[in-house]
Amino acid sequence: MIARNRQQPVVNGPAAPSRTTLSPPGWATRLLRWYCAPHLLEEVQGDLQEEFEFQVRLAGVAKARRDYIRNVIGFIKPFALKRKKSPYTTNIFRMNMFNHYATVAIRQVIRQKTFSAINVIGLALGMTCCLFIYLWVRDEKSVDNFHANKKNLYILYQTVAGNGQVNSSYSTPFNMIFNFSDQKATSTFEEIKRVVPGVLQTSAYMTGYELPWGHPETFQVGEKVQKFNGSRASSDFFTMFSYPVIAGDAATALHDISSIAISRTMAEFFFRTPQEAIGKNVRFENRLDFVVNAVYENPTPQSSWQFEFLLNWDAQITQMNLPSHLIFTTFLLDESADPRQVEENLNRYLTSRSDPKSPEKVTLGLRLFGDQYLYSSFVYGKPAAGRMVYIRIFTGVAVFILIIACINFMNLATARSMKRAKEVGVRKVVGSSRRTLITQFFGESILLSFLALVVSAILMQLLLPSFNILTGKHITSPLTLPEYWIVLPALMLITGLIAGSYPALYLSSLKPVSILKGTLRFTSGATWFRKGLVCFQFSLSIILLIATIVIFSQTHFVRHTSLGYDRDDVIYLQIEGELNTKYSYLKERALKMPGIAMVDRSTEAPHAMGFVVDEKDGFSETNTGDDAIQWEGKGNTSVGFKPASVGFDFIDILKLKVVEGRGFSRAFATDSADAFMINEEAVRQMGIKDPVGKWISAWQKKGHIIGVLKDYHVSSLREPIKPLIVDVKEYEYFGVIMVRLEPGKTTEGLASLESLCREINPNYPFVFQFMDQEYDKLYRSEQVITRITNTFAALGILISCLGLLGLAMFTAEQRTREIGIRKVLGATVGNIVNLLSKEFAVLVVISFLIAAPVAGYFMNRWLQGFAYRIDLSWWIFATAGMMALALAWLVIATQAFQSAVVNPAKSLRSE
Amino acid sequence: MKRVYLGEFEEIVLLLVAMLGEESYGVKITHEIITQTNREVRLNQVHSSLHRLEEKGMITSRMGDPTAERGGRRKRIFTITAYGRATLEEMKALRIHLWNLLPPTLNIAGV
Repeated sequence: MIARNRQQPVVNGPAAPSRTTLSPPGWATRLLRWYCAPHLLEEVQGDLQEEFEFQVRLAGVAKARRDYIRNVIGFIKPFALKRKKSPYTTNIFRMNMFNHYATVAIRQVIRQKTFSAINVIGLALGMTCCLFIYLWVRDEKSVDNFHANKKNLYILYQTVAGNGQVNSSYSTPFNMIFNFSDQKATSTFEEIKRVVPGVLQTSAYMTGYELPWGHPETFQVGEKVQKFNGSRASSDFFTMFSYPVIAGDAATALHDISSIAISRTMAEFFFRTPQEAIGKNVRFENRLDFVVNAVYENPTPQSSWQFEFLLNWDAQITQMNLPSHLIFTTFLLDESADPRQVEENLNRYLTSRSDPKSPEKVTLGLRLFGDQYLYSSFVYGKPAAGRMVYIRIFTGVAVFILIIACINFMNLATARSMKRAKEVGVRKVVGSSRRTLITQFFGESILLSFLALVVSAILMQLLLPSFNILTGKHITSPLTLPEYWIVLPALMLITGLIAGSYPALYLSSLKPVSILKGTLRFTSGATWFRKGLVCFQFSLSIILLIATIVIFSQTHFVRHTSLGYDRDDVIYLQIEGELNTKYSYLKERALKMPGIAMVDRSTEAPHAMGFVVDEKDGFSETNTGDDAIQWEGKGNTSVGFKPASVGFDFIDILKLKVVEGRGFSRAFATDSADAFMINEEAVRQMGIKDPVGKWISAWQKKGHIIGVLKDYHVSSLREPIKPLIVDVKEYEYFGVIMVRLEPGKTTEGLASLESLCREINPNYPFVFQFMDQEYDKLYRSEQVITRITNTFAALGILISCLGLLGLAMFTAEQRTREIGIRKVLGATVGNIVNLLSKEFAVLVVISFLIAAPVAGYFMNRWLQGFAYRIDLSWWIFATAGMMALALAWLVIATQAFQSAVVNPAKSLRSE
Repeated sequence: MKRVYLGEFEEIVLLLVAMLGEESYGVKITHEIITQTNREVRLNQVHSSLHRLEEKGMITSRMGDPTAERGGRRKRIFTITAYGRATLEEMKALRIHLWNLLPPTLNIAGV
């Protein structure tokens, strides 16, 4: 601050004391120089200096310095910070300069054909990956999110805690949870709506065709008979969910016990048009008649629930057997309702209805219906990522591949920077500012990324059908999506900016003097940076390679490992209609027909047994006090069994092995009433010795253990082998009939079987499954992942090698003279190839050392999802490493060889 | 009536620019304000005020000659424009007009 009440200032006073002692603080001046706009600096600094010297004379050095500092800080204001716009350099869009830059950029692209091609192809592949992943993620995220009520539509999940275990699932058989003996939906739901405020509508839904007992069901109208995959739902279904009803009324579609809603496909199959279907009768499973009350549009792939018809819920409960206990309960909440509050009230109501002595505690939770598809798994009772994991992985991989491509661009651009350095020097001398140069180089990289974008947009259109096959999706061409036209330019800009960042910043920072004098050398920093990028690139590629090998081997292992039974040449068909009552007749006839080797039956398809009894899963139906299965010396042990009732030839038809005792046999009269077999795992868990001969009972049936089966896989390899209990019952109305065809006579066998079934069971169409194909279907998601990782790994390696090719070309070009001289001095072609490729080989080896542990960690985590898995043995890593090294070496060596065979006379003369 | 807003401090700075003629630059104006008005002001306040006045078109500036006590740096000399002068006169006229409207004896509240 300047002192008040003082003398008239003496501007031209005595000469200032010497500068060294009486100068303002240096750091304050530097600060001022740094922040102050250049066009104001002279005047401001001058004023400050003058004031400083004035204060020195008036009040002494100390105060003058203090004031100076205060003034410098006081000047940090917008007017002093704001830079004046230069009329010459900043605006690249002034047309003449813009044209100039465009010309230079295009000439660069054309002159460096190979490098440009490598860049464009690399970037295009990376971008195509990104676009596909974007479409895939978009599609995944849209699943179940098309409902008009989606903001207030919640699905229930239940968590059962007890016996040290926590199990959660979206499957909520509400009547069982709430201990309602009455299984009708209406009464339970009315009760819930009454006691839990905020619940507007409720719906129950159950698929009719999924395991363990579900299957396609037969419908008949007049002469037409066909099987359809359908479900059951309670009456609010069509008003809660937005499945468009094209004929009939949504509100009354499922209002009474005889109503059915059918899809467009089914309506058109039976009645030609949807309108004609309304009010007509359809016959279900040759047993019940339903009236078509509504026809809805076929559910789109965006719906995780797929159903070709919907039966009234109460009809299911009162007149049919449960196809599964996968029952989904959904609530439509009031706009203003707080889902957590509703959850709390629901649980309070649940507690009031449940048995306080029960060792298990059941709690309910709400999750937005649109989330259940992606967040499909549970961790400690809370919905967890599930499918979301794959979305994250693939997004990550797409970004990786794009980065690999961008690194190519950076590397090639910096490597070539020597050539462009002269241009930069001249431009700077002529007056180009650093900012203009940065803009220019970014402009060039964006131009290249634009070319790449055009290529990738075309590629995408061409590859979309194959992509759909690869992922099993139905993605249509995105050209009509408005957001696609935002994503495309955004992708182009991002790619251009990432790819151009290093060259733009590096090249523009070069000093014109050293460039033009020719003393510019790559700093070790730049070389390290380039090597680092190559390492990074190859690490990513090697990780992808290792992942591919692991996933492929695991999938291969799963599909070809010995399951303990022989599933080749076995087909099975659903027991329905007359097939049960006429089973013996069918078996007798079939065995005499050509192509059929064996016939037997089982209550469950042996490759995917879903039902577990006595398991601690919270379902009152399956753990009624652990008493469904009893045995000699059971005590307090609790064992979850997979039960099956089979025919006498079950062991032979599947080629199972008996390790103790004997198999079922018609020779023993008691076998159909008294015999049980268990597997080795059951023996272990039951904790008994010498099981053969001990008594055992399943439900009301009591008998003795006659033999022990060698463990075989009754479900997918994700699950460990469970205890198994098998008895002979050749009269159950459900299950499957298995037929072993004679090897190589599949066609004859199927033809015989079809004619036989048509004769015995005319009201049902002949539908069968091959057991090995059905088994493979259990691993559909693994197969999709195998295909996708294969593609990605190939792309990653391809792009990395492209980059390496570019770098190798560049190095060879740089060292033309050196190579010539070496050859003159007697080096062989081999020596030179070795010389050029060694450096890169070292980089690949380093990348491998980085990649192997990372990949090992992640693949180990992935493998944990399987109860039976391959070992992460050294050869997997070795193969990946060798592949990467071999490919990289091949690329470099080819290039090195080309430059090594050049006649030295030529290369040396060119200088 | 269209009118550019001129703050009280800006008015003083503008008057001083008009008054100081060839000597009107940052330090000089600051010192003059301090001596004439007994106010505490700092250089940066004067500078930003000058900057605003220049943006409003009431003063123009040019770089003067380098002087030794400024370490050989040039001063920026400010001159009032016709528009600036007109604004000042307009303000003065308005004040006089308002003063003339006052009754001869001022009724001071509370007295």
